[in-house]
Amino acid sequence: MALLETKKLTKYFGGLGAVKDVDFLINRREIVSLIGPNGAGKTTFFNLITGFFRPTKGKIFYKEEDITNLKPHQLAVRGIIRTFQKTKVFPGVTVLEGVIMGSHLTINPHILGILSNTAATRKEEEKVRQKALDILNFLGIEYRKDILAKNLPYGEQRILEIAVALAADPELLLLDEPATGMNPEETKRVTKLIYKIREKGITVLLVEHDMNVVMGISDSIVVLDSGEVIARGLPQEIRENKEVIKAYLGEEYTHA
Amino acid sequence: MKKRFSYFRWFLFLFFLLSVPFLPIGNYQLHIIIIGCIYAVMVLSLNLITGYVGELSLGNVAFFGVGAFTSALLTLGGVSFWVSFLAAGMVAGIFGSLIGYITLKLRGAYFVIVTLAFAEILRLIDTNWTSLTNGPMGLSNIPLPEIHIPYLLNITFSDKIHFYYLSLGLLLLALYVVYRLVNSRIGRAWVSIRENEDLAKSIGINAFNYALLAFVVGAIFTGLGGSVYAHYMSFIGPDVFSFSITVSMLIMLIMGGKGTIIGPIIGAFVFTALPEYLRIAQLYRLSILGIILIFAVIFLPAGIVSMPKRIISFIKERRRQFGTS
Repeated sequence: MALLETKKLTKYFGGLGAVKDVDFLINRREIVSLIGPNGAGKTTFFNLITGFFRPTKGKIFYKEEDITNLKPHQLAVRGIIRTFQKTKVFPGVTVLEGVIMGSHLTINPHILGILSNTAATRKEEEKVRQKALDILNFLGIEYRKDILAKNLPYGEQRILEIAVALAADPELLLLDEPATGMNPEETKRVTKLIYKIREKGITVLLVEHDMNVVMGISDSIVVLDSGEVIARGLPQEIRENKEVIKAYLGEEYTHA
Repeated sequence: MKKRFSYFRWFLFLFFLLSVPFLPIGNYQLHIIIIGCIYAVMVLSLNLITGYVGELSLGNVAFFGVGAFTSALLTLGGVSFWVSFLAAGMVAGIFGSLIGYITLKLRGAYFVIVTLAFAEILRLIDTNWTSLTNGPMGLSNIPLPEIHIPYLLNITFSDKIHFYYLSLGLLLLALYVVYRLVNSRIGRAWVSIRENEDLAKSIGINAFNYALLAFVVGAIFTGLGGSVYAHYMSFIGPDVFSFSITVSMLIMLIMGGKGTIIGPIIGAFVFTALPEYLRIAQLYRLSILGIILIFAVIFLPAGIVSMPKRIISFIKERRRQFGTS
């Protein structure tokens, strides 16, 4: 069953078509990658399905529900959580507090419970704290928990971003270029993490430029160019697709 | 064991607060403390939207004025103080919801300007609606609060001591509510909006609703503060809406330490007392206050609350430099 589906999704900025008639589908527990040259419309597509942009036309369905015009926080409630191409963390709070903030949707204490600080409220607080620690442990940055997010090195800020997203209990996790600006060692670590995230039953949609990451982990790949889908298929098929090579991969990839 | 000790300390502190009027201080000092309490309530309220959510509001004085006038008009019409007091909070809360609903769609400089505009509009309405508010003449002879329980208790708030307990009670209530909210999921949502609104939205935080909540809670407490002020002074005019109150609140908030619990309270008392005691400098009063402010902003950008931390790190730095070798 399709988890997320778009039908003829289109976004124009003035006269410029950033995303044109994109039909897209992702199944449960898949890792799908979106690739394409700069300006192909990958991030715009992300912003459309996470509610940060409104489509010019077309529809988006999540578990057969029309979610086309919902706002980001409404989509988060449904389990669609994203990260950003330009790293976004909560700079002035510690790593642990930031991840606890990410778990906002997973607890729902009553306002009277908060004001009278009932045992139930305290228990929930303890629960999200423990969960945040587990996530940091899972991602291997627990030793950084008391450091302010803005003081983390860049690579670990990217990991923290994933930690915050995981705390929100995603069903569909959208990662916008998670390996950008990372060294080969960190890139390997992120690749492994994405695998582990899928093992938890989370569906992953990935925008990524690093072909070592994309080719290795994707169940299928969708190639965008100038806002249009020019190819889709298994990694092996994409690697051999003439049009994709011309538009994006370049000659050397045929021998890789 | 540790917990019992901490309860004991709180009890001692409360006992100290309750005994303040019996310390050898004059009426004038008690007056400053009462005004300080009312300001502290208002600055705690302002801190929610400005310190935690991170949007600078220049409109909070409107809720002070609305609360003061609601309470004054109702009691002058024969309603008891306690009902009027609650009504002041409610009416201020309603104004807060309406103004917040319009202004919180905006962010940054636009929010600042529009909130200021609302405060000024209310001031002008107050000045010109003479049939209701008596315009520039203001309302006088606002009744004193009373506690009247037949055969048991009969108190008229005719002394500063009564108002001290009233304003202290309001301050402790505001402090408790703010403390609980800030240290909960709600407070975390507020801070997340301040730190990165897009990221906050992406993890499911409805930024508009949470900002509105902070604004309205602040409006309610500011309105309650306005009520206490009106009955304490027994006279109010259009200057309960004046921009100078906004400026005072901002100085108190920023100098005390925004985004902290205790900072606004310290700021409120220090900057209520300081201008008063600088009266001995007569003509130079405001110049000296200005110089103190400039130095404070340079050396304590995070407010008075950050002082102990800064001193400690300064000493450590010194030790490290000159060594104990």
